[in-house]
Amino acid sequence: MTVFYERFERHDHATGLKAHSTHYCPGCGHGLVHKYLAEAVEQLGVQDRTVAVSPVGCAVFLHYYLDVGNTQAAHGRAPAVAIGHKLANPDAIVVSYQGDGDLASIGLAEIVQAAQLGLPLTVVFVNNAIYGMTGGQMAPTTLPGQKTATSPHGRDRTMGAPLRMAEMIAGIDGAVYVERVALYDAKQRVKAQKAIRRALETQVAGRGFAFVEVLSECPLHLGLTPQQAEAWVRESMTPVFPLGLKKDAKVEAWPAWRPPSFDPQRLASVVGASTEAVPRFASGFPRTAFGPDVGIKFAGAGGDGAQTAGLLVARAAINEGFDATHIPSYGPESRGGTSYADVRLAETEVRSPAVPSPHLLVAFNAPSLARFGPAVLPGGVIVYDSSLVPERPPGLEHARIVPVPCSRIAHDLGRTAVKNVVALGALQAAASLFPDQSWLTAVRQALADKPALLPINEQAFAAGAEAIRRVEEVVA
Amino acid sequence: MANRKARPTLSPEICKGCGRCIDACAHHCIAAGTHVNPATGLVPVTLDLERCSACGLCLEACPEPYGLLPEGDEAAAEPTGQKRPPAVEDQPDTRVALPALRPLVVKGTYASAIGALLAGCRHFFGYPITPSTEGAELMAKLLPELDGHFVQAVSEVAAINMMYGCGGAGLRSLTFTSSPGFSLMLEGLSYMVGAEVPAVVVNVMRGGPGLGNIGPEQSDVKLACRGLGHGNTHAIVLAPATTQEMLDLTMLAFDLAFRYRNPVVVLADGYLGQMTGKVTLPDELVRPGLPGWAVHGDREHRPNLVSSIQLSEADLEAHNLRLIAKYERMARSEQRAELYEAADADVLLLACNTPARLAKGAVRALREAGVRAGLFRPVTLWPFPIDALRPLLRPGLRVVTVEASHGQIEDELRLALSHAGIAPPPLAHVRRYGGVLPKEEEIVSRVLGGPERGVA
Ligand code: SF4
Ligand code: SF4
Ligand code: SF4
Repeated sequence: MTVFYERFERHDHATGLKAHSTHYCPGCGHGLVHKYLAEAVEQLGVQDRTVAVSPVGCAVFLHYYLDVGNTQAAHGRAPAVAIGHKLANPDAIVVSYQGDGDLASIGLAEIVQAAQLGLPLTVVFVNNAIYGMTGGQMAPTTLPGQKTATSPHGRDRTMGAPLRMAEMIAGIDGAVYVERVALYDAKQRVKAQKAIRRALETQVAGRGFAFVEVLSECPLHLGLTPQQAEAWVRESMTPVFPLGLKKDAKVEAWPAWRPPSFDPQRLASVVGASTEAVPRFASGFPRTAFGPDVGIKFAGAGGDGAQTAGLLVARAAINEGFDATHIPSYGPESRGGTSYADVRLAETEVRSPAVPSPHLLVAFNAPSLARFGPAVLPGGVIVYDSSLVPERPPGLEHARIVPVPCSRIAHDLGRTAVKNVVALGALQAAASLFPDQSWLTAVRQALADKPALLPINEQAFAAGAEAIRRVEEVVA
Repeated sequence: MANRKARPTLSPEICKGCGRCIDACAHHCIAAGTHVNPATGLVPVTLDLERCSACGLCLEACPEPYGLLPEGDEAAAEPTGQKRPPAVEDQPDTRVALPALRPLVVKGTYASAIGALLAGCRHFFGYPITPSTEGAELMAKLLPELDGHFVQAVSEVAAINMMYGCGGAGLRSLTFTSSPGFSLMLEGLSYMVGAEVPAVVVNVMRGGPGLGNIGPEQSDVKLACRGLGHGNTHAIVLAPATTQEMLDLTMLAFDLAFRYRNPVVVLADGYLGQMTGKVTLPDELVRPGLPGWAVHGDREHRPNLVSSIQLSEADLEAHNLRLIAKYERMARSEQRAELYEAADADVLLLACNTPARLAKGAVRALREAGVRAGLFRPVTLWPFPIDALRPLLRPGLRVVTVEASHGQIEDELRLALSHAGIAPPPLAHVRRYGGVLPKEEEIVSRVLGGPERGVA
């Protein structure tokens, strides 16, 4: 009797007879299912590897009896818990043992997903057409007309028809082996033993998800003697829940899982961390009129590259050893085709990352300029795309306003998408935040996967800066 | 044992008299009993094995493991006094040096995901929900490259239970979620606390109640600190304020989760999740060991059980007392706070997550305006860092809580003061809701005596 504990220590601390008897009612089918499961575990030699997940319901105390690794799950969640165990240790043989309330009612989503994923798991589903532990209420598998505590006049049409889980699970592609068996006579019991062993074998062979539904007796809540309950299952349940094999798919075993890697080099490369030091070009934090903390806002329509531009600035600052933050526009606006990026640069630590009042604003269209232009701090700089905003808006005299035809320049270079880099070149020329090389290094890092785009981005940056110089000349 | 052709022997003490064996025997060797067994109040069957063919069918029909035994196996039913195998030793974690790496420039959810990888987590279970999803997406991309596992669960309910399984097997698992998803995980978190299963849940809080919006709020503080499902539950709650802390505190969370055998919640806000910043990587990564208590599915760990059910009131009370003693250990040892210009402050701003950064900006502005302001930032919301606050509470000090929730953080402060027997200092607050964060100017004006923003 190796797979049952020699003494049921967990059963009320093995007091008296409880050391060797179960908590089940006389004639309850659960004891038989436990026995067949224990036998199968023993026959397949997997006792050490087995993890039994017990449900909520009368079988909640499976761990009193089975001498295997035991886990007790929340109501209906045993298949999810089983998935966690299987992926934690693919060598484990994981059995989810569940009743009809647990599996076919509260845990429908979990069992369906487990079958759909198709991982090698074994589910033993004990269907006795009633809630046992809570005291005889209606189960999803309660028969039409059957009286229970919550269908006192018999299950009628308003309460739905019984759920046939084996057929339902068999209809899911991930399930490999599905069978429905019963316990009411010696012949059925032999079939039940075989099916449970088969369901375990399916997992041991790594073939996939296996499901055995066992029609079982709950004499207590049927108000029947054990013999009457056996007859009831045979006569009343089997017409609704036909016995037999529902599915036995020919599938390849799952390939073996490799153990997780903790190799430091591999991890560093996977997360994109580089050992290469980044050259620094700046001699110190930008000496602007704004003090130790610079707020920049990029604003435009989706596709204008506001976010990319913001990230490039943040990256350039961080490369130079400073602190920086970038926040994309947030909230429903981000779905409305507009895109704003807030960037803050600080010599040591960015305090407030939000930029409601920027020192520097890059506006890619007229609404952005109208919305954020007035918020720019006195003495700040506004760069805007003059190809899209032909008329310089009034009322922005508090800031230095620099029209740059970003879109047209980018278009002339042959790639409209680089207009944000044109704008960055202009911003740099207007506000001299970092040496040009800092910017270009950040651009190079961002294009590490697309080196072919580097030249045009470099040209765009230079053209933006050049445009500023031309504007300045005109002004002078 | 069943499944063996043998004659039966009966344990009359164990037999429940169900009669299943009677039907099974074609030779009518077994009959219903007539005498009540005084020990059980049940009526065991009687055997007369004269005609017995040793077919074994009765053995297969008995639901009791020790009811009918094959002849020769009776000894098994006798208590042998055999001891359970001794508890297995913990396999300790090891730390592996990382090469010197330059800082990453990543968003908060990414930093947290990378922190989990560095902490040895190779299992992610989650359900997509804005604004946390990008963290999950990164895990989906990276975990297969490290031979780890990513599962998109059918719901948050399933996700947290997959974590219960993975954690129960002794491994590290992570999820990213956001407020409505966190609500769904509370059931599972209660089971984890009860069964002492470690896991790390990163909740990137958004606006509520209900579906609310995806803007940043801090309105799950009460759930994380006071409402982790049913029962007497607690978990350490970490509140990062920077991208760097998204990584650092996620790493710390795994350490704490396994040190205390308890889930740990990292509470971030939607802003922090999206914000890109500089992240310096640690010198080492963790190669996790395997705790001795794990239900791992191997020989050494076979005797183990992960469960939160304790049927007897006495047992459940004892279990609660053990958990409460653990909460007290956490409360003593795991308080963390950051103080900024707090030592000489007349006005102490109290804030965490992104609002703490806005409050930091306000402290600077207030100092420039000649007000001695400081910031007290709880890094652990539970346990509340009362030990760090206590020495700052001189007479005349005002405390202004700045938060994106309806006083949930202030309530933590009030509870902590009350539990510590400290009379509360004058309290005021700046609160915003619905995805709006308190603004720096708003904080400054409130400290300078401005009115509380209210419903007009
Ligand atoms: S209530 Fe029903 S299912 Fe539960 S132990 Fe009793 S007979 Fe078995
Ligand atoms: S072993 Fe067979 S013949 Fe003997 S008592 Fe059992 S069922 Fe009857
Ligand atoms: S089947 Fe087992 S419990 Fe039931 S009457 Fe026979 S010996 Fe007793």
